[in-house]
Amino acid sequence: MAAGFKTAEPLEYHMSFLKENCRPDGRELSEFRTTTLNIGSISTADGSALVKLGSTTVICGIKAELANPTVEAPGKGYIVPNVDLPPLCSSRFRPGPPGEQAQASSQFIADVIESSEIIKPEDLCIDRGKLCWVLYCDIMCLDYDGNILDACIIALLAALKNTRLPKVTVNKATCKPEIDLKERHELPVHKHPVGTSFCIFQDSILIVDPTADEESLSTSRLSVVTDEEERLCSLHKPGGTSLSAEKLQTCINRATARQREIQKLIEKVLNSVKAAQ
Amino acid sequence: MEVSAPSNVSLREFGCEQSLLSRPDGSASFVQGDTSVMAGVYGPAEVKVSKEIYDRATLEVLVQPKVGLPSVRERSQEQCVRETCEEALLLTLHPRSSLTLVLQVLHDDGSLLSCCLNAACMALMDAGLPMSCLFCGVTCAISAYGQIITDPTSAQEKESRALMTFAIDSKERKVMMSSTKGSFSVHELQQCVAVSQRASERIFQFYRDSVRRRYSKSL
Amino acid sequence: MSTTGGMFAVLKEKVGQVLVPGDEFCFGAEETISLSESAKPERAVCGPGLRRSGDRLVVMKSGVLRHKPPLTFWIDSQQKRYVATKGETVIGIVTARAGDTFRVDFGGSELASLSYLAFEGATKRNRPNVQVGDLVFAQFLIANKDMEPELVCIDGSGRANGMGAFGAGGLLIKVSLGLVRRLLAPNSDIRLDLEQLFPCELVVGMNGRVWVRASSVQQTLIVANLLQSCDTMTTQQRQQLFRRVQQGAL
Repeated sequence: MAAGFKTAEPLEYHMSFLKENCRPDGRELSEFRTTTLNIGSISTADGSALVKLGSTTVICGIKAELANPTVEAPGKGYIVPNVDLPPLCSSRFRPGPPGEQAQASSQFIADVIESSEIIKPEDLCIDRGKLCWVLYCDIMCLDYDGNILDACIIALLAALKNTRLPKVTVNKATCKPEIDLKERHELPVHKHPVGTSFCIFQDSILIVDPTADEESLSTSRLSVVTDEEERLCSLHKPGGTSLSAEKLQTCINRATARQREIQKLIEKVLNSVKAAQ
Repeated sequence: MEVSAPSNVSLREFGCEQSLLSRPDGSASFVQGDTSVMAGVYGPAEVKVSKEIYDRATLEVLVQPKVGLPSVRERSQEQCVRETCEEALLLTLHPRSSLTLVLQVLHDDGSLLSCCLNAACMALMDAGLPMSCLFCGVTCAISAYGQIITDPTSAQEKESRALMTFAIDSKERKVMMSSTKGSFSVHELQQCVAVSQRASERIFQFYRDSVRRRYSKSL
Repeated sequence: MSTTGGMFAVLKEKVGQVLVPGDEFCFGAEETISLSESAKPERAVCGPGLRRSGDRLVVMKSGVLRHKPPLTFWIDSQQKRYVATKGETVIGIVTARAGDTFRVDFGGSELASLSYLAFEGATKRNRPNVQVGDLVFAQFLIANKDMEPELVCIDGSGRANGMGAFGAGGLLIKVSLGLVRRLLAPNSDIRLDLEQLFPCELVVGMNGRVWVRASSVQQTLIVANLLQSCDTMTTQQRQQLFRRVQQGAL
């Protein structure tokens, strides 16, 4: 009966739960799914992390390459994020060039990196005007069950914290870079931005960490990204139902709490990785 | 939660012309200072079977940059404009049809996304599509000294510490869309929302005046 | 707000003014009282562009508010795209034959169907002589958002009543929907001005298509061009132009 109701009237099905202040998977309205984090899962990458938010699974790998800095910014390296939503992760994605959601997500991640100053591009410079690091941050979704943006940001942050760059010296005589793979150093991560996504149902009910079903049925989505100083790095709401300033404040409060939880989680996992080595 | 903000809201001079193109069903050009966007709307028209939605119209938004091909940045703008328009339009009145909104950037001198939103709203109105409310876009920049500049030029945008664009609805002046760049405090955000809400009053009044001008011949 | 009419008084005050989507009119408290006092409650008719939402009347298109006594209100907007409405007569182009029906393009979001039998005097044996590419003047029998629109070329009593295939020797032009309504209005001033120029035949469809035929090709083209330019002119400008044409062309 319940299964039939869910298929025939998905919105009614969800609303009957939301009216009772709970959700079909047993969570409260402002409760996240279990967040699992695995750092350093790809040994061939310079830094990597795997994040699970309930069944949403996202993996991020960071590849550092040497490049020439651009003429406009000779003292800066650059970061190239890319979010891939392959057909593997959900039936809604088709093979071929990246769809609108993948492109919008990539742009969002790029904006977050730039806004939060998670990595200072100056830190990626090796030799001013001649040599710098490019960090390719490839984020891939393995299982799509909603709230991909939050998962992507956690994966990116954890992977950056895990990144070890080899020492590079420029040989004065030959003008060629010499890479010392044995001597690696950590990347200075300045800020710890964490995203919290919300969905709005029926113009008034706010839920956090939506699943794919909830995302498609909701009337609006909202993502708040905050750092450890409680500064906002992004408030992304691509249209949908309008939101009052009071509701916005509730979202921001929830986001700052979430930031602390995730930062703690990342520290814990990093420590356990270090202890294991 | 009252937030005090400077009372004067300065917006650059804006201008608008409706139904200036002959082929589209609705068109408008919107100018804010030196930023200028042209919008054309086609529809309700026949929809491709793959994009058909059984209970509402399919809205497609295309943002064409001044030079080059649309890139990831335009995709993200398209998403913002589309979802804002979807909320304002009564799409359920035209099920299984398609609406296409094309936004051609003519010149970008800052506040581009808000200009796109304003042009889109005027073009949708010109096409006579059923709407539940109007919306307008306001861009706020926070300068290095913490000053809020509404409707910034691109030079002001470059110098700013944070940049926020909001879409405000005409019914309750609530935030429909938000897109930000740079980091800022919660207090600054609230101030910017309040300033945008005040700026929206002026833009909605301008909408009304330009629609009145358009219909002056049939009064 | 006056105490007698409530919302309708406010609405009547706004007649002739330009409204934009989102403008609202509230049913006032006194309204319900006045409704219960009168034996027959007043019933307002909302035309195009107005929508009822709960206890409010919401404008959903920009345009001029019009009123017709006693209580009919609508928004007069200038639109280009036609949306099929039951009972309206339109000019369609036959684009295909499919079994027992013609597929007719009327400028809307999908094609309308027109049965072989929906012509005056048509029977299973005696099929109407309509070819692909012909123009038909027809009326909507079915037009709603959830169903395929259906056209007929007969009225309720089976008579053609001016409808059917037509179109030899004339010119089909497209004008705005607002102009079409002005042309079709009783005692339309544009039509009166046009009659004074030279005799011509006009077929005006509510979908913004106008078919013109005058005694010569040249005159047909003049009429077509005049009609298309009427959209963007005030009454004085139009009369001036018509006068100039009369002096120059005749």
